[in-house]
Amino acid sequence: MTPWAEVAGADAVRAGGASDAVDGVVPAWVVRPRDVAGVRAVLAKATREGCGVVACGLGRHLDVGAPPRTLEVLLHLDLPSRILAYEPADMTITVEAGCTLASLAETLAASGQWLPIDPPCAGQTTVGGLVAANLSGPLRASQGTVRDLLIGIAVVGNDGALVRGGGRVVKNVAGYDVPKLHVGALGSLGVIVEATFKVRPRPEREEAMAIEVSGPGEATSLALDLCRAVEPSWIELVHPASLVDGSDDASLVVVGCAGAAAWVDEAAAEIRRLAAPHATLRHADGAALRRALSDVSARRVPAIIRVATLPSELGSFVVPTIEALVAEGHDLDLTAHVASGVARIGVRAADSVRHVLDRLRAGAPPQALVVVDRATAASKTGLDVWGTVPVGRGGALMASLKREIDPNGVFAPGRFVCQP
Amino acid sequence: MHTGALASALRDIVGSDGVIDHPDALSVYDCDGYTLERSAPDLVVLPRTPAEVAAVVCRLWTAGVPFVPRGAGTGLSGGTLPVHAPVMVCTSRLTAIEAVDVRNRRARVQAGVINASITRAVERHGLLYAPDPSSQPACTIGGNVAENSGGPHTLKYGVTTNHVLGVELVLSSGQIVELGGPVEDRLGYDLTGIVVGSEGTLGIVTRAWVRLVRAPQAVRTLLAVFETVEAASEAVSAIIGAGLVPAALEMMDRLIITAVEEAFHVGLPTDAGAVLLVELDGPSAGLDDELARVTAICRRRGVREVRVARDDAERAALWKCRKRAFGAVGRLARNYCTQDGVVPRTRVPDILRTITGVAERYRLRIGNVFHAGDGNIHPILLFDERDHDEVARVLAAGKEILEACVALGGSVTGEHGIGVEKIAQMPLLFSPDDLREMLRVRAVFDPDRRANPHKIFPDALVCVEARAPRRQVPL
Repeated sequence: MTPWAEVAGADAVRAGGASDAVDGVVPAWVVRPRDVAGVRAVLAKATREGCGVVACGLGRHLDVGAPPRTLEVLLHLDLPSRILAYEPADMTITVEAGCTLASLAETLAASGQWLPIDPPCAGQTTVGGLVAANLSGPLRASQGTVRDLLIGIAVVGNDGALVRGGGRVVKNVAGYDVPKLHVGALGSLGVIVEATFKVRPRPEREEAMAIEVSGPGEATSLALDLCRAVEPSWIELVHPASLVDGSDDASLVVVGCAGAAAWVDEAAAEIRRLAAPHATLRHADGAALRRALSDVSARRVPAIIRVATLPSELGSFVVPTIEALVAEGHDLDLTAHVASGVARIGVRAADSVRHVLDRLRAGAPPQALVVVDRATAASKTGLDVWGTVPVGRGGALMASLKREIDPNGVFAPGRFVCQP
Repeated sequence: MHTGALASALRDIVGSDGVIDHPDALSVYDCDGYTLERSAPDLVVLPRTPAEVAAVVCRLWTAGVPFVPRGAGTGLSGGTLPVHAPVMVCTSRLTAIEAVDVRNRRARVQAGVINASITRAVERHGLLYAPDPSSQPACTIGGNVAENSGGPHTLKYGVTTNHVLGVELVLSSGQIVELGGPVEDRLGYDLTGIVVGSEGTLGIVTRAWVRLVRAPQAVRTLLAVFETVEAASEAVSAIIGAGLVPAALEMMDRLIITAVEEAFHVGLPTDAGAVLLVELDGPSAGLDDELARVTAICRRRGVREVRVARDDAERAALWKCRKRAFGAVGRLARNYCTQDGVVPRTRVPDILRTITGVAERYRLRIGNVFHAGDGNIHPILLFDERDHDEVARVLAAGKEILEACVALGGSVTGEHGIGVEKIAQMPLLFSPDDLREMLRVRAVFDPDRRANPHKIFPDALVCVEARAPRRQVPL
């Protein structure tokens, strides 16, 4: 009998192996509870014994975060995956964390609605993973991110306690907005077991316009102009174009318009006019192209560095820095959610990662964020994935929050910022 | 420390006109928009800069004195009522709009900037600040951040938390922290997200980075007149159910219609059961189709009349009715008390039936003017404060309505906050474990509970002399 079988059931527990490793750290045990009660039992025991637990859904996004400091249990949360409440006319949905985005999308689509968040590899993403890693995609330009759509949460915390925050109605200011704390926290303040979202009606039509231009500088400036003139539903920069479709030495601007058919037609014409003399290729299935673009942000390279800054600084900081690094011989690619000011730099050679990261951090504007978005275990070795949050920017508060909520160091130890 | 000595120490920081300690002057600060309870502070401090706020709070920390932050005092749940907090720190003099970044659609504003003045400062660039509480000509951004304020247009655009990217916060120790910033993604925990809506219990917000949105290319505003509240509610559900997302979807019932018509003479039909105010906005292409769909839905629900505003002046007149409805109610009764509950959108007819029943049972007049599209109800209970029996019935009826909201799967507050008013209702929504988690968060920011003590949390419930309800300040 394994030490975890008594709390989770023998069939829910197996010994961890190399294929279960999180950033190279192999868990002693892999536990897959059937329901929330099982999750609570595991975390109550983990709290008592002070051992580290990392939770995951289907495991596709475990390359986000710093390597765990210790890892006794890898907790798979894909089984509790029910849709708990959905009344289409309320435009809210409550699901268990293991619910996949595909299954969620299918349920919502039957009523003409969607959760307009489009992370990479949506088919391999659970709701818990979406929230914990604060995943997003091109749609964030017009629809916001998890923090804008998540209205309620249940997490299993210290001692296996079930803690709820927020609620199930679209407006609610009772108490602190606890769901916000768990968005992007990588499970470091508790294991997410349930989430409630606002949902929206699906757009009547979604089309995309792809424009190939000579390089990332020109692409950025065109994209920023289009943002101002058209206010598209999403707008992506891709360099080189071959990451999606096109040549190795050109860049792509892809503009999405989702909404009333009349507006989509009008916007498409305006985009074509503004993009001239470049040719504009119109894609009738804009959603398919958008999903492909989102998947690119989780491309398998040694490391992807995320730079979040003001949209205008994509042109003044990100692109020139990348061009200089490329000129020095580093093999890099670049994608960006232009309207949100979020760029991802793919570092294609493992031995470049540290240098590229240092250069971006050294040159970044004061308010910008430069983090390792995803990386292989080998690339992460010795790398400062998150960087430091200064005391004056809340660093001490964050460290204290972690201690206060997770005094025994159970929840994803070492994975997130401000952790010993 | 003796109050006189403290006043003198604070005057050294903010100047002699920055501290109020005369009892007559202090009585102005004895309540906010929630007037059922009153309690004046011993001192009011009016710093002029974020640095002065920090110096004041630092001084209070050294003296061991708890404080209440206050903006314009338009809050509706008693969030700025001093409860064992002798000093009130007002941010109303922090009025600088420090930076407007038109290209990136951001602004950095000080906490005392009035909500509506942000839009006024940026509208020439075709931009606006979206959250629009009814008190927007008076309320401050600092207060909006504290309360996570809403407004009619939050149906489409979201509430304050969706538009605040970062804050500068003075902790109860006097230390200044900058959380978030102009950039969308942030490093580490979303502390901005937890500060928004924390009702001044985590510190004093002195600056905020806000998002600006592009002013809509086109707007269509219509007023739909229904014979009954039920028919209007069904139309609301049908509009939402049809996949339309109006910018605003507001309802007023007969009592409110009558009050508004008597006050503003805009030609509202005082014999109607309810009116819906529907606003659609966005690109002009497709907007008239949406308008036609909304009109058709209203017709299928037996609408008596649909009036579409023909120009900005007519649109402004319709909105004036809605945003000044609370003030107009003052004509109907000596006093009134506004509640703020939320139900799932589909349960709006249920809660309205409950309210009708409550009004009958408690022999009260209750009007309804609310954000129907969000399920955020605002029943207005009319009374005369001189009638103590009626006052007791108002309090009991309000409680029963909120309990019904919770029973229907909703919340006891959608935008007004818990403050002191709804502390007793917190356990209806949250378990002891849920509340303990919030208190852990509080302990991180303010371990000694010096910032706005005795708010939000039931264990902090202490006795403030509950007096007869008074006339609510106009919104």
